[in-house]
Amino acid sequence: MAELLLRPFAAIGNLTLAGLESMGRAWRLFASAAVSIRNTDVWMPLLLPQMARVGVASVPIALFIATFTGIVMALQASYSLTGTIPSYFVGTLVGKTMILELGPVLTGLVLAGRVGANISAELGTMRVTEQVDALETLAYDPLAYLVVPRLLAGIVMFPVVVLLAISIGIAAGWFTALQLLEMSSAEFVKGLRIYYAPWDVWFAVIKSLSFGAVVTGTGCYCGLQTEGGAEGVGRSATRAVVAACMIILCLDAFWAAVLL
Amino acid sequence: MERRREVLVGLVVVLGIAAGVFGSIWLKGGWRGGQTELRTAATSVGALVRGAVVKFRGVTVGSVGSIEVLPSGEAVMVEMRVLEELVIPANAAVLLAPESMFGEWQAEILDRGEFGLPPFLDYPEEGVLPGAALPDFSRLTATFDQIARNLTTISDRVEVAFTEETAMNLKGVIDNVSVVSDLLSEIIAQQTERFEDLAEGVDESAQELGAAARAARISFEHFDSLLLGADAEAMMADASAGLRNLRELTEDVGSSLGDMRSAAQRVDATFARVEGLLTALETPDGSFGRLLGDPALADGALEVLAEFRALLADIKENPGRYVTFSIF
Amino acid sequence: MSIRLREVHKAFGPKEVLRGFTLEVRDGETLAIVGPSGSGKSVLLKHVAGLLRPDSGSIFVDTHSVPDLSRKELTRLRRRIGYVFQFAALFDSMTVTENVGMGLRRMPEWDARRIAARVEECLALVDLHGLGDRYPAQLSGGQRKRAGLARAIAPSPKFLLYDEPTTGLDPVTTTVIDRLILRMSDEMGVTGLVVTHDMTSAYRVADRITLLHDGRARFTGAPDEVQAAGDEVLRGFVEGDPDLYFGRNNDGT
Repeated sequence: MAELLLRPFAAIGNLTLAGLESMGRAWRLFASAAVSIRNTDVWMPLLLPQMARVGVASVPIALFIATFTGIVMALQASYSLTGTIPSYFVGTLVGKTMILELGPVLTGLVLAGRVGANISAELGTMRVTEQVDALETLAYDPLAYLVVPRLLAGIVMFPVVVLLAISIGIAAGWFTALQLLEMSSAEFVKGLRIYYAPWDVWFAVIKSLSFGAVVTGTGCYCGLQTEGGAEGVGRSATRAVVAACMIILCLDAFWAAVLL
Repeated sequence: MERRREVLVGLVVVLGIAAGVFGSIWLKGGWRGGQTELRTAATSVGALVRGAVVKFRGVTVGSVGSIEVLPSGEAVMVEMRVLEELVIPANAAVLLAPESMFGEWQAEILDRGEFGLPPFLDYPEEGVLPGAALPDFSRLTATFDQIARNLTTISDRVEVAFTEETAMNLKGVIDNVSVVSDLLSEIIAQQTERFEDLAEGVDESAQELGAAARAARISFEHFDSLLLGADAEAMMADASAGLRNLRELTEDVGSSLGDMRSAAQRVDATFARVEGLLTALETPDGSFGRLLGDPALADGALEVLAEFRALLADIKENPGRYVTFSIF
Repeated sequence: MSIRLREVHKAFGPKEVLRGFTLEVRDGETLAIVGPSGSGKSVLLKHVAGLLRPDSGSIFVDTHSVPDLSRKELTRLRRRIGYVFQFAALFDSMTVTENVGMGLRRMPEWDARRIAARVEECLALVDLHGLGDRYPAQLSGGQRKRAGLARAIAPSPKFLLYDEPTTGLDPVTTTVIDRLILRMSDEMGVTGLVVTHDMTSAYRVADRITLLHDGRARFTGAPDEVQAAGDEVLRGFVEGDPDLYFGRNNDGT
């Protein structure tokens, strides 16, 4: 009877401990990775290919999403803004939401799926086939060789991809306003500019920087933690995506509270 | 392959940064050449924020850099970055006011001579322009009310000295007031229609306004017929009554508009007519008030009129400025 | 004494894999550690290379105490250790040539031309001449193992650790690999530690054989001593007799 009562508490305790342990391991990984940055000769040559993989290859999907987000934002804004609110507010809504929220967050979430799963699966495969061990026996620092270039590529390329996505999203909203909402270019631009503050763009850049670190970081962490063959690789890819998405959303709220 | 990848990465990075940099510059309102700094001090800045636009003769010429309360606490110092080549009038002042009816404020550089009101703060420091924040709509209606009260007082004293000229002036006034009331009732009808779904109280006050306007109009029509008969005494009695009506009307306008802030942009047309009324009150040679043998009262009334007129001029230009309606 | 393990304990969670393992591998000899799958042979090997840290006990390679080395010292030591992985662990994203050259590229004294020459040499040594431009996925299992061996020997290590070098290979390829192991020790004086459960191969390549049983070294001796030994567990393993290996009253459970 007592055992039955204690069981839920034990479960919660286990879960908490496991979570904390996992967090501790992750932080240790990133701390070691930070130390490994000094091994420039190891990661430098790998940075460019990783930037291509993390950033360039993500541009099409990011732009695709931004385009449709822009269109939908414009249409929904005009649907919501009726009566006394002037139509140029469509521009304001599209611009503000794309820059502050949808640009960085949607791109972050999509890239969490694309980049995070990719990294996790790749490193997971390397882990279970002992390629990570092999790196070590060949006198390579696996953190410098595997984690650092990916992390840096994410940090550098995410803001770039997000800025492109924001531009395309706003352009798509603009085009929609002109073609479907019978607004004039001048009206849309007026709305765009009226509440624009330069800080908005910095906010987006800071957010996407952190998202880049989160997506590549969780990808690396989950990948290197992989155990148990092909199934384990799949599991850690899923875990990387879920964790990255959750952290992105929490961070999003955190930045909004801290920076706005 | 390697070459291709380098080029691709470079291209994406450059494009992304370019999108960020040029995009934000464009959103800020395009390239600005060399910029210089202007400063102004005001007792209050209303809802002005950093980055708000600075306008000169209606054209955006810069943005607000910083807003700081002076250590002494007596005023707020506003720094503006404006185009270097901008030549501003010798007696320039800065008016801080809402830019549109959605609450965003702007700083407008203007010629103080053309715009006597509101009271600009002359800060005793070289290079600091006098500044003032515009009152919002409630203060305007209060002024309106004061004018009406003064008008009543004046009309109470009209009996003291009444000439034919004055009578003709008064007739002009009344004509104008009649037009005003017409317009008001028309607006009220429009507004009632447009804001049907607003609170019932608004609807009610609108109807009251309509009734008041109709009453005013009837008395003014009475005025007209009296003036034709040139029975000065009877006419003045009626004038007094009519002006009381006007006062009531304006009070109603005040309270109703307090509720119907979003209707404000419509009022400008009306005020244009009111301005005509004020002109008529002041002209010709020697003002109406002076004829009444009480220069102090007359001066007071005229001051109020001038103030009111300045406000009206501004309301006409920027109807939305007097209404603060914030969405964000 | 070139590789020494003393009282090494290692547990993964509740599972004790090594329970006081003690072993000495002499300079220049090739020692085979045999034992059934899952007995902890690979774990042992990883301890020697510093990939795993023991819970307790000491591990010396030459004069270096492996668990106590700093990252930098460990890196330096690893340049002298070649590790042949069970499934070769070739880097999928690189060609065979790049794979084999990986270790050399970390060494400042090796320039690109010297590396290329050495890679060619090693590929020829393992009979993979002409396959350098292939990717690991395009190789057969035996070819992959040989490529992994080539990668391990490219930096001319003093120690070679083989993790199941012949597992899963046909008898002919097994012989090829075994000959390569012998060649390493005979021609280059490499100290070898071979982990295997293939007794034929162990007899062929090893100077001495150790049976890893229950987390400890149960028996160590030359191949002929192994064949002559009376130890039941050893005989059970060598002859593939579960009754002997696990004990008569135990049905292998």
